[in-house]
Amino acid sequence: MVDTVDKQTNGKSKEVLTDCEVINNRDGYSFHSFFADIGALSSFTLRFFREAIRPPYEFNEFLRQSYLIGVKSFGLVGITGFIMGLVLTIQSRPTLAVFGAEAWLPAMVAISIVREIGPVITAVICAGKVGSSIGAELASMKVTEQIDAMEVSGINPFNYIVVTRVLACTFMIPLLTVFADAIGLLGGFAGVNIKGDTSFSLYFLQVFNSLDFMDLFPSLIKSFFFGQAVGIIGCYKGYNCNEGTEGVGKAANSAVVMASLSIFIIDMVAVQITSFFM
Amino acid sequence: MKNETGNKVKLGIFITAGSVLLLVAIYFIGARQHLFDRTIIITGVFKDASGLMVGNNVRFLGINIGTIEGISIMTDSTVRVDMQIEEDIKKFIKTDSKAIISSEGLMGNKAISLTPGDSGAVIKDGDSIATIKPADMDMIMAKLNRTVDNASSITGDMAVITKNIRNGKGSVGKLFSDTVFAENLDQTLVNLKYGMKGFSDNMEAAKHSVLLKGAFKRMKKEERQERKEEKKEVKEEKKEEKEQRKEEGK
Repeated sequence: MVDTVDKQTNGKSKEVLTDCEVINNRDGYSFHSFFADIGALSSFTLRFFREAIRPPYEFNEFLRQSYLIGVKSFGLVGITGFIMGLVLTIQSRPTLAVFGAEAWLPAMVAISIVREIGPVITAVICAGKVGSSIGAELASMKVTEQIDAMEVSGINPFNYIVVTRVLACTFMIPLLTVFADAIGLLGGFAGVNIKGDTSFSLYFLQVFNSLDFMDLFPSLIKSFFFGQAVGIIGCYKGYNCNEGTEGVGKAANSAVVMASLSIFIIDMVAVQITSFFM
Repeated sequence: MKNETGNKVKLGIFITAGSVLLLVAIYFIGARQHLFDRTIIITGVFKDASGLMVGNNVRFLGINIGTIEGISIMTDSTVRVDMQIEEDIKKFIKTDSKAIISSEGLMGNKAISLTPGDSGAVIKDGDSIATIKPADMDMIMAKLNRTVDNASSITGDMAVITKNIRNGKGSVGKLFSDTVFAENLDQTLVNLKYGMKGFSDNMEAAKHSVLLKGAFKRMKKEERQERKEEKKEVKEEKKEEKEQRKEEGK
């Protein structure tokens, strides 16, 4: 039964359905559909910026989403950050010990966490937790025709659903990154003290001695872009989901995959730009 | 509704805590770069910046007191380095303090070390201080190279000499390896011993002979006189020393 429905939609797709619907109706992911996806995502992003600056501003919904995205992810991000700091320290110690440079451990851990691990791990965790939930939520809204109902009742669904979520992601993920950095550095302190004996003040003195504004600010700026990417892609996948329960799962899944991938691509671009200025 | 206000409070705490953390980080990083301290700028002119970079540390008595603010080429053989140092420290730095480029640890980060000066004049904002040419690694290597060259030529000579000795060439070589030579040397020494004994007997006999008796007596007299004079000198020196001690005691 499902097969026949799929075949039917596939049959008329080229004439009637929009580009993104074509993509979501396809089982495979072809070369053509990849570029179509990129194009549709770009126009979705443009629409986000247009709608974001246009009233009405859904401030209460923005705060609610910020709570769901920021506060609710704090525990997960904190635990991950702590473990990453701890593990990184323990794993780096033998290599540094070969050079007799164990005193450089805090500096190394600080730079790795602040520059790279903090922002990327936070963004990837949020892509998994937030991106998938946004994708699934919007997809089920779409499937149960709630979005259409909103349109009918005069509320701009894009403004209420998409803009608030994307903005919440954009501002909460950098904040989570700050927490992840701080907790990761605490994890590093624990890791340093497993085999050595460094006081808290000496550890943080060494950490801040090794850090520069050129470590902190580029990583914060790129985490804004990570947040933007997670929000936009999650919303895009959910908003453009095709009919049926299968579509909800697909939307959630592809939101996570595409968001994670785009995080690493943004990271690569960011590191190029940062190294250009250094 | 109540739950929603609770969530907002939580969100507020979350945002405040995050912002505070960020501000603390910015403060600590900025404090390291002396952004929030009152600072003065002093300059030094070097012949060679030897890899110094903007942001490197300035040290005084091994303590970080500032950073390098700017490096610019003045002429084709001089480099001007602006150092930003804490104003609290400036009272310890005198106008005749000197700046020297040093290395920070093994990793090769350069730093400027300021030496304490002698004069009382305290340095002011914008002052220029003298610099010391750092011991350049290349120059050390060049000197070391010369030393090694000399050492190699010396050891080369030593090798030739020891080879000759081992092969029995030259007098030292003969001494070590020629058994005939050794026997001859031994015999010579025996003969010399006998010869010396004969000679001493002859001299003893000469002292008693009529012809040379006068000459020997005269020699003995002169010897006695010399001894007496020496004793007198020693006594006078002792007296002078005693007098000096007494004067010091008084």
